[in-house]
Amino acid sequence: MLDLADVSTYYGNIRALRGISLTVAAGEIVTLIGTNGAGKTTTLRTILGTVRPHRGTVSFNGHRLDTLTTNRIVRLGIAQSPEGRRIFPRMTVLENLELGAFVRPDREAIAPDLERVFTLFPRLRERSAQKGGTLSGGEQQMLAIGRALMARPALLLLDEPSMGLSPILVDTIFRIVEDINRQGTTILLVEQNARMALRVAHRGYVIQTGRIVLHDAAAALLRSDLVRKTYLGEK
Amino acid sequence: MTVNARRPLGWAAVVAALIVYPFVDRVLGFQTVHAVSDGMIYVLLALGLNIVVGYAGLLDLGYAAFFAIGAYSMGLLNSPVLGSPLYGYPWSFWVCIWIAAVVSALLGVAIGAPTLRVRGDYLAIITLGFGEIIPVAIRNLGDVTIEIGSWRPIERLNLTGGENGVNPVGRPQLPGVPFETDPVPWYFLILVIGALSLWAMNRLRDSRLGRAWMAIREDETAADCTGVNPISTKLLAFALGASFSGFAGSVYAAKLQAITPGAFEFQVSIMLLCMVVLGGAGSLKGVILGGMLITLFDRVVLTQTTFMVRALGRTVGVPALATADLTLWRWFFFGLGLVLVMLLRPEGLAGRRLRPAPVADEAEDILDVVPAPRVDAVPEWLRERAQDGVAAAPAILDVRSVTKRFGGVVALNEVDLVVPRGAIIGLIGPNGAGKTTFFNVVTGLVRPDGGHITFNGASLVGLRPNAIVARGIARTFQSIRLFQNMTVLENALVGEHCRLTATVPGAVLRPPAVIAEETRARARARELLTFVGLGGKENELARNLPYGDQRRLEIARALATEPRLLLLDEPSAGMNPREAQTLTELIGLLRRELALSVLLIEHHMEVVMGISDRITVLDYGTRIAEGTPAAIQRDSRVIEAYLGTGYEQDLAG
Repeated sequence: MLDLADVSTYYGNIRALRGISLTVAAGEIVTLIGTNGAGKTTTLRTILGTVRPHRGTVSFNGHRLDTLTTNRIVRLGIAQSPEGRRIFPRMTVLENLELGAFVRPDREAIAPDLERVFTLFPRLRERSAQKGGTLSGGEQQMLAIGRALMARPALLLLDEPSMGLSPILVDTIFRIVEDINRQGTTILLVEQNARMALRVAHRGYVIQTGRIVLHDAAAALLRSDLVRKTYLGEK
Repeated sequence: MTVNARRPLGWAAVVAALIVYPFVDRVLGFQTVHAVSDGMIYVLLALGLNIVVGYAGLLDLGYAAFFAIGAYSMGLLNSPVLGSPLYGYPWSFWVCIWIAAVVSALLGVAIGAPTLRVRGDYLAIITLGFGEIIPVAIRNLGDVTIEIGSWRPIERLNLTGGENGVNPVGRPQLPGVPFETDPVPWYFLILVIGALSLWAMNRLRDSRLGRAWMAIREDETAADCTGVNPISTKLLAFALGASFSGFAGSVYAAKLQAITPGAFEFQVSIMLLCMVVLGGAGSLKGVILGGMLITLFDRVVLTQTTFMVRALGRTVGVPALATADLTLWRWFFFGLGLVLVMLLRPEGLAGRRLRPAPVADEAEDILDVVPAPRVDAVPEWLRERAQDGVAAAPAILDVRSVTKRFGGVVALNEVDLVVPRGAIIGLIGPNGAGKTTFFNVVTGLVRPDGGHITFNGASLVGLRPNAIVARGIARTFQSIRLFQNMTVLENALVGEHCRLTATVPGAVLRPPAVIAEETRARARARELLTFVGLGGKENELARNLPYGDQRRLEIARALATEPRLLLLDEPSAGMNPREAQTLTELIGLLRRELALSVLLIEHHMEVVMGISDRITVLDYGTRIAEGTPAAIQRDSRVIEAYLGTGYEQDLAG
């Protein structure tokens, strides 16, 4: 479904991605784990077209993405969350969620999806008339995820969805990830919480300083020495 | 600081060129000295504006008003002609120029004061209004009559010369120097004033005051919470910016020999702003370049080109060209130039280029990227501070029934929380429970609706954030709030701001005490950066640091304020387990070695359960539990509202 082939991305003259190859098949949850600055977010940005690869190709269902503008890419069925909690602070929670569905043609299916988001995050229902900017950090995180779900994307890019959430909500988030995957959404998941990510994912890639150093089935990665030492904090 | 061997030569060449230039010009008959002198006056103005816009980040659209005030101060005090009582006899130029600077600075404070609470668009609109008011006032104060019934205490008093302005204005007097006939003495007078101003500004920028301006520009709230008083810092920027325009205005008035209100209209403010933006806001070199380019383009290039176009028009017989006047198009060209610069070099012609830092070299072992904190790296001066604290009360922070409402929402409901001296207290709770609001109340960002907050035995309620920092409470932010466009070292130095004492004269003249203080501050900042693991990255821009480094820099900045209590808001958010572990060790080290008390908001249970002595749990603004980590983990309300059941396996691994 999504295919990155030998992608290199530069910021100025600094190479942030050094030839990344990565595939996500329809129906999968694939996780990308790595330390801060390893290139995880740059990979997501390259897929969404907010930065351009200097070499290599990004394709999605046969479309070349690396020449398209971001809004065209989103219309092909890719959504990202939370993008550093970039919610619309002066719009209400409800308006933020409705904007998530902006590119959808199926108007009548939006109401049930809104209901679904409110069921997943009861806190958002309580605050639906509040301005997004008045929410706490964790609540903004929920809103960003909810907004991405409202787009009903074919492929959902999740950038550290558990960051700043309470332990009980971290559990919820990963349950949601599995749920929406079962309902047919393919997911590329970037997470610091490698343990949880590898538990829900089918396959995983480990990225270090702009390179993929390891990829395997998630269960196998959970057992690998490199992952256990570096990303699970085990001695 | 290492001095590049070629730089003194470069400077000597610049100085020599500036000295020789007017004589060369005279020999060659170019007659550009007038234009260049005027250009230097505008450069001086632009440099003053740069303090307000470039350093402090306060958009001022009415800066020409200060130019007018400087010019009229000179004109009114120094004019020998007008018939009002003020103009009995002219004062010396050399006295008036200082009076003009002081008057401008005072008016800078006067208009600065009411605008202190506003920022951005609103401040710009207020300055726009001020810029309009001054020329109008000058026009109308040319004919003042006060009538009380039939009594007229003041009749047709001419205060400002009205629309006609002030003419003539006295020239400076120096024995043997022909200011009357020759443009060259003016050139040197302005050169000297400009050079002295530049020297002063350069030193101000590199002082604690310059750093405070830039911190306010980058993030006013974070600056306030780092010990920078935003009110006095902004007022100082307004006052100093205005005083430089006082100098520029005086020289302008005396050189032109006549001033009219028309010379200080809105478009002059815009032109000055163009100079700053074109060259690069915040860069002295850039502002000089921008100022000279625009003035010379206006005064020399446009007029010369007009001559050439007309000559061409006459030769080829095109009447439209023969009568063309390109100077009427100046605003078109300025606008076009500005648009092009913004598109091609948004940081300005000489601005600091914003480029990302190199990522870790490919050879670097990923496991070495996060250095563990070392006991022997704990800065000695912080240890000394730690001994200072005498136990005035058993609790360093004592919060009693604090309540905060936002509209109808009760964010904090009679919350009690005590931090014993030297303790690490965890503050946890569901998202939106009011944890960050609690921090905001303690640090003075938000005023509580009720309750008591006592720190070291004294109440904190009603104090400004920077005053609370000075008392010894420092904090970090949930979403990192560094001074993005300042270097790592500068960020740490801003933290020391409230422990440094240099004032404007000190910063400019640099007596030994100030030099010693600044050297000590830099040494301390470097030690601190090495301690948190940022050694070697001092000169990188904060924005270019990887995420984990930004978190560590925020902690270093907080430590630089020499706190007794540290408030950390989700310090390990976005960190992987390894990094979180290093952070936990760092916090433990701070308590052990520095006797620092810590209040910690955290969602990573392996961090908060591992190092907290006691934990307070908030839900919907109410304290639902308080106790030891072991007790909290068993508390059914906490498990239901916050922990869930999945975390245990997580902790167990």
